[in-house]
Amino acid sequence: MSKPADLLQGTLDMLLLKILALEPLNGFSISQRLRQVSGDVLQVSDGSLYPALHKLEEEGWIKSEWKMTENKRRAKFYALTPPGRTQLEKEAQNWSRLAAAISGVVSLRKA
Amino acid sequence: MRAANWIYTLPLKLRSLFRRRQADRELDEELRYHISCKTQENVAKGMTAEAARRAALLEMGGVEQTKEACRDQRSLSFVDELAQDLRYAARMLAMRPGFATIVILTLASGIGATTAVFSVIDRVFFRSLPYPQDDRLVSFGVKAPFESIEFMLAPEYLVLRKEPGPFVSMTSLTPGRADCDITEQNPGRLTCALVESNFLSTFEIQPIAGRDFTREDDRPNAPRVALLSYGLWRSRFGADPRAVGKIISVDAKPVEIVGVLPASFEMPNLATPDMLLPQAQDEAAQDRTHPQLILRTFARLKPGITIAQATAALQPWFQDSLRFVPPQFRAEVSLRVRSLRDRQIEDSRVGARVLFGAVIAVLLLACTNVANLLLVRAVGRQRELAVRAALGASRARLAQQTLTESLLLALAGGLAGCGLAYVLLRIFVSIAPQGIVRLQQASLDLRVLSFCFGVSVLCGILFGVAPALAKPVPESLVGRSARTTARGFLRHALVTAQIAGSLILLTSAGLLLRSLWKIQSVPTGLDAQHVVTAQISLAEHRYPGAARQLAFYREVESRIGRIPGVEFVALSNSLPPSGSMQATFFATIDVPGRPRPAEGTGGMVGFRMVTPNYFRALRIPMVRGRAFTDADRAPAENPVILSETLAAKLFPNENAIGKMLRFSSTAEKAPWRTIVGIAANVKNNGLTVDADPELYIPWKDDPAAYVLHSYVTFVTSLNSATVMPWARTEIASLDPTVPVEFGTMTARIGKLTERPRFDAVLLSLFAAIAVLLAALGLYGVVSFFVSQRTQEIGVRMALGATPRGISAMVLSNVARWTAAGASLGLLGARFCTRLLQSLLFEVRAHDPLLLTMALLMLVAVALAAAWIPARRAAQVEPVVALRYE
Repeated sequence: MSKPADLLQGTLDMLLLKILALEPLNGFSISQRLRQVSGDVLQVSDGSLYPALHKLEEEGWIKSEWKMTENKRRAKFYALTPPGRTQLEKEAQNWSRLAAAISGVVSLRKA
Repeated sequence: MRAANWIYTLPLKLRSLFRRRQADRELDEELRYHISCKTQENVAKGMTAEAARRAALLEMGGVEQTKEACRDQRSLSFVDELAQDLRYAARMLAMRPGFATIVILTLASGIGATTAVFSVIDRVFFRSLPYPQDDRLVSFGVKAPFESIEFMLAPEYLVLRKEPGPFVSMTSLTPGRADCDITEQNPGRLTCALVESNFLSTFEIQPIAGRDFTREDDRPNAPRVALLSYGLWRSRFGADPRAVGKIISVDAKPVEIVGVLPASFEMPNLATPDMLLPQAQDEAAQDRTHPQLILRTFARLKPGITIAQATAALQPWFQDSLRFVPPQFRAEVSLRVRSLRDRQIEDSRVGARVLFGAVIAVLLLACTNVANLLLVRAVGRQRELAVRAALGASRARLAQQTLTESLLLALAGGLAGCGLAYVLLRIFVSIAPQGIVRLQQASLDLRVLSFCFGVSVLCGILFGVAPALAKPVPESLVGRSARTTARGFLRHALVTAQIAGSLILLTSAGLLLRSLWKIQSVPTGLDAQHVVTAQISLAEHRYPGAARQLAFYREVESRIGRIPGVEFVALSNSLPPSGSMQATFFATIDVPGRPRPAEGTGGMVGFRMVTPNYFRALRIPMVRGRAFTDADRAPAENPVILSETLAAKLFPNENAIGKMLRFSSTAEKAPWRTIVGIAANVKNNGLTVDADPELYIPWKDDPAAYVLHSYVTFVTSLNSATVMPWARTEIASLDPTVPVEFGTMTARIGKLTERPRFDAVLLSLFAAIAVLLAALGLYGVVSFFVSQRTQEIGVRMALGATPRGISAMVLSNVARWTAAGASLGLLGARFCTRLLQSLLFEVRAHDPLLLTMALLMLVAVALAAAWIPARRAAQVEPVVALRYE
């Protein structure tokens, strides 16, 4: 209900964890960063972003804190937790395996 | 890894549970921030303020939806769901307060009665005794036919003590109630107990002040010392620690207080002495061939030794000690080692079990009733369930909700039950007879309340399971109530079980009542009407010799005899129909020209020392010969009167009058006594067993008659309540320090039926509750049956069925289930009442008359309960019924 249909199950979680692994960000900045890094390939609507963030927080992979932004406004910043980091590594590994497997299958078709 | 997550997730969970509003506010702010940033960004791209904001909102895909989606991510914890369910359940119950009240009251009756009985049983059976490692404490000794509690002869004990075998340590106390007087300022009568010096250390109890007894204190001529009970320490010494070391005068002799017992201290024989004194027995004087002193003996088992092992280990010693037992007794004595608890609850066990069984039955009946009520109500809520199921509630979720409701009901019932238990316990304690172990200690403490809570939860699960398993019926969505008869069977089966259960309880109560009635109509052999008794205990230090005692008693006799309206003042050293009485073995009675039996004791023969008026005061008829006269009080006279049984036993088919006999065991040169009369039998060891053979000897003006405890008995034509204070004043004017306990003979006999009456009253109470519950259950089920079938009844009537026929239809339905329940109940009663047998007196457990009566009563109640709904069915207007719904 909250995940975009065009993203693989769990991929959004991994993307968010990866983004937050670099630095703590607030929700708006995360949406900007998503668009920047994926070059508009991955369309994540704002309506899907926040539920996904809240879910990660419930899982204990990220934590939130209210802080001031550069332009002096209060915003909720999310940061990775140690369990989140472990989770990210695991998902990244899974992803590599999955990606390798899929590209293997795809190249098989071509041949 | 997940385990570490809780550090991060717990605050969130707590927040979503307790600070829901704050979480919502933050969510709101977070999204608002995003929208405003987005709007700014859009404006920067060149949109108008209006369009920029709309685009931002569109991107969000609806703020409220997003919020909802975020909220969905919050884990709805179990507690959270529970809180939701509870709120819902409370609303549902509040909507139908009548239903809730009936359920809660039904449960309260079951849980309350169970809790009250448990609070008593717990003390008897389960709670540990107030000694460290109480499970290793045993009572041991010789079991003999004339004494229900094991004992030991002092010399044998001393032999065993040298090699304690299976015991870590063993200790002893001198049995019997020992009066002792404080003979200084504020003199008073106390109870003392004589114990061995290692008594406290064996039970691993330490005095709270001062010291324990030492071996030195136990020497025969040691300076006298005492341990105060906590109660006496508080009442007489104001809990002053300086009481330790004080010298007080006990029985006119100086005694040093060396210590104070803890408040929780309890004697192993449950006596409540004010002081403990060392036995100070002269061990050297104890002779195995002429034992004098009897001891109650206790021991602490070595770790790992069982009671059976200990018994086996003591056998060699026991066999050895048999050598010193007169040969005729050997076959009748045995060794007994049993746990301290077993010794204490000897008489209470069966009664307590029966009561607990009965009350559990009542509890189950209450649960059954509630289960039935909920099942009936579940039918009414089918549509609600179907709607919720259609909206996506899983069956597990629905079951959880239903179960929560049941539990809420159960807990409310439990709470009310605790209140009821408090009241019931007060009632138990006030109507209970003496001698129910630890009843006075019973209270609703934390342990009992936890039990109550546990029982409530269990009940909630028990009666909640059936309704929780109800499957939502989609058809009920259509709007017509689905007339499913599924689980109609369950409802009826529950009612059947109720009828069976209440029949069992009814039969048991009937048996106890009938037994009580039999006990009360047992002829005692004496006429208790207008008879007043007074128990007098003289203190040895004030009345040291027989002469002083005799003078006092003679004076009492004549002073009371001068009170107007008082007749036949008699003295005796014991009184029927129960209580302690001097006794000897039948085998020790010598009759001239007859050899003694070689084997066996021949049983006990009681003997009483009485003044001539005794037979007149109690109106005991002389079957043959004469009663004592004043002439028999002369020291030279040695007459004796036999009970009928004893006469028949000693002189079968002979006239005993004029024959001679003597007790050879009492003294070397016991006088020969002439039989002058034969008295009718009188009950002398309770009502429910055959009277022991008995003989009477005159209370003579003989300086050898040493009697400290005696009874004055007289007949009065006045109200006993007016005579008692008068007689008390007369005795007090002789010696104000002598304690006198007045009573009537009727009350004395009545005391013997207290215990069976208590059992019978309680069981009847439970049976009454059970029958009431069964009737209510039946009424509910039949009413439901009728209301479900109103339409059908209407059709039947429209087709020509008579109201009589309709009633018959309903009643025959009831009759089927009642009959099934009754047959089950009869089977159950056959089994259960067998457990009652030991409580019954002259009533067979399978008394057919009683079973029939119980059955008839139950059927009558069942039909009465079914009558009202059956009549309602008969009065159904066909037209109304056909339009029903």
